[in-house]
Amino acid sequence: MFDVMVILPLAATGAGAILIMLVAAFETFRREGISILGMGLFAFAFFIQLTVDNSGDIYPFAEVFNGMLVANTFTKVAGLIILACGFFSALAAQTYFTQNKGFVLEFYCMLLFAAFGMLLLTMVAELITLFIALEIMSLAVYTLVGYDRHSVVRAEAVLKYLMLGAFAGAFYVMGAVLVYAGTGSTSFAAIGAVVADSGYLSNPALVGGSFLILFAFLFKAAAFPFHAWVIDVYDGAPLPVTAFMATAVKTSIFAVLANFLLINPEVHQGWVTFLFYLSILTMFAGNLIAIGQQNLKRMLAASGIVHTGYLLIALVALGSERFSGGAILFYLAAYGVATLGLFVALSYLSGQDERRVSFDDFRGLAKVRPYSAACIAIFLLSMAGIPPTAGFMGKFYIIAGAFQAGHAVLAVLGIVSSILSLWYYLRLIIVMYFREPEQRFEVAELTLAPLGTIVLAVCVFAISFYPVVL
Amino acid sequence: MIEHYLSLSVLLFCLGVLGVISRRNVFVVFMSIELMLNAANLGFVAVARLHQSMDGHVLALMVMAVAAAEAALALAVVILLHKHKGNLDTNIFSLLKG
Repeated sequence: MFDVMVILPLAATGAGAILIMLVAAFETFRREGISILGMGLFAFAFFIQLTVDNSGDIYPFAEVFNGMLVANTFTKVAGLIILACGFFSALAAQTYFTQNKGFVLEFYCMLLFAAFGMLLLTMVAELITLFIALEIMSLAVYTLVGYDRHSVVRAEAVLKYLMLGAFAGAFYVMGAVLVYAGTGSTSFAAIGAVVADSGYLSNPALVGGSFLILFAFLFKAAAFPFHAWVIDVYDGAPLPVTAFMATAVKTSIFAVLANFLLINPEVHQGWVTFLFYLSILTMFAGNLIAIGQQNLKRMLAASGIVHTGYLLIALVALGSERFSGGAILFYLAAYGVATLGLFVALSYLSGQDERRVSFDDFRGLAKVRPYSAACIAIFLLSMAGIPPTAGFMGKFYIIAGAFQAGHAVLAVLGIVSSILSLWYYLRLIIVMYFREPEQRFEVAELTLAPLGTIVLAVCVFAISFYPVVL
Repeated sequence: MIEHYLSLSVLLFCLGVLGVISRRNVFVVFMSIELMLNAANLGFVAVARLHQSMDGHVLALMVMAVAAAEAALALAVVILLHKHKGNLDTNIFSLLKG
């Protein structure tokens, strides 16, 4: 019975997606109705996830399916973040499609299917389940990127994403073959036991397989050698979809990585050296790209790479004494709130057909729409890590964790990178506040996005008060 | 015996990687990705035999199902691109360049 309780949010999301698919076939439901339904289903799944009590490690299918899934407080909070991201992406979509073409009723269905895959991904404890969850998520997100068939830009974005995503997926599968050959099992616990027993180096198949799996995950998380696709795909996707990819996909990927690395210290130890260098390279590569961007969406994509770098620092420090996944989730929540806030604000400010997307287009926004500009400023300051925002606390926990784990170099470089990132975050604030307005920033009436922006701006401060046990 | 199967599997996989990297036609690229997935399938079945367990068989079946779903999506994208550009060479898709 308890097994069923744990996967109830998962079931609710999947059933919700199918419900929307069915409802979309009827003429009576139009865009507004489906939007509200989609948001309602996300909220519903969120509250179910909130009420499920899964403290401690629980293996929902321990007896039936050989320990396929694991549930604990970590997976629960990761699921909450994903569902909240889904809710606000749906809210952004509601507003976005009042001024933009290319809406299909199945949009929210794909959003829910993607969230379903992500929830499953946070709970996996086994290579087969991981692959299926990864693909459920990826296929739904590919569709979301390219469903607007009349736009050439979207088609190019989905081509790039699908080609590279499927390539990375094939690497993952080959990695799984080699790990399975090396250890004789596909479950994380058994792989961890083999690693703890004989180490990585005595087992060449395991080493090769781990590398291939690492490649696939670095690709999905947009870390250093595999980060180039992210800028183009985020730029080519519709705004609400970009918001969803930037936040929810990242949350689920880091949840599964942390889940895997936390099995035992030996597993973690083998990965630390690579993650150490990758985190440094990711941060600085992201900063370099972001500084050169003129387009807001591309800048946010590049800054997403930088945030991946910080999360990799957290993974390096993970599992060391008194440092749990709490800091990772806190950072993901803080980053998610700020990013979603920006995208929700952009969804009503960007105007018809995403007209306003570059820095210069937002000249003088503060004079015309002071509240929107203030909210955007709050989100940007949170992403840059200025106190007392959630972004500052997230960075603080991660850097403190790196110090505790004895990686002082990493902590210092993290701070340097955070100072560099001020360059492009403050640039937008300067443009908004210290330039004369040239546009009237007219927006569509009766939309939810302005309200959502204010809620998220409040969340930026509210989350920063939430204590994390380091 | 198992070494031969695994060598063949890795060889096929490398051929697939080579195809993805060197060919410019979208269609051939997707075919190469399918080749990579099938190479992995061969590996799974061989290793399942080696370890006398069913996990590899299950994973091979799952990979087939997912590969089919991915192929369906890939074909849709191919048709979409052909409609827009009338050509499937990856070099002509250059609207998003950063």
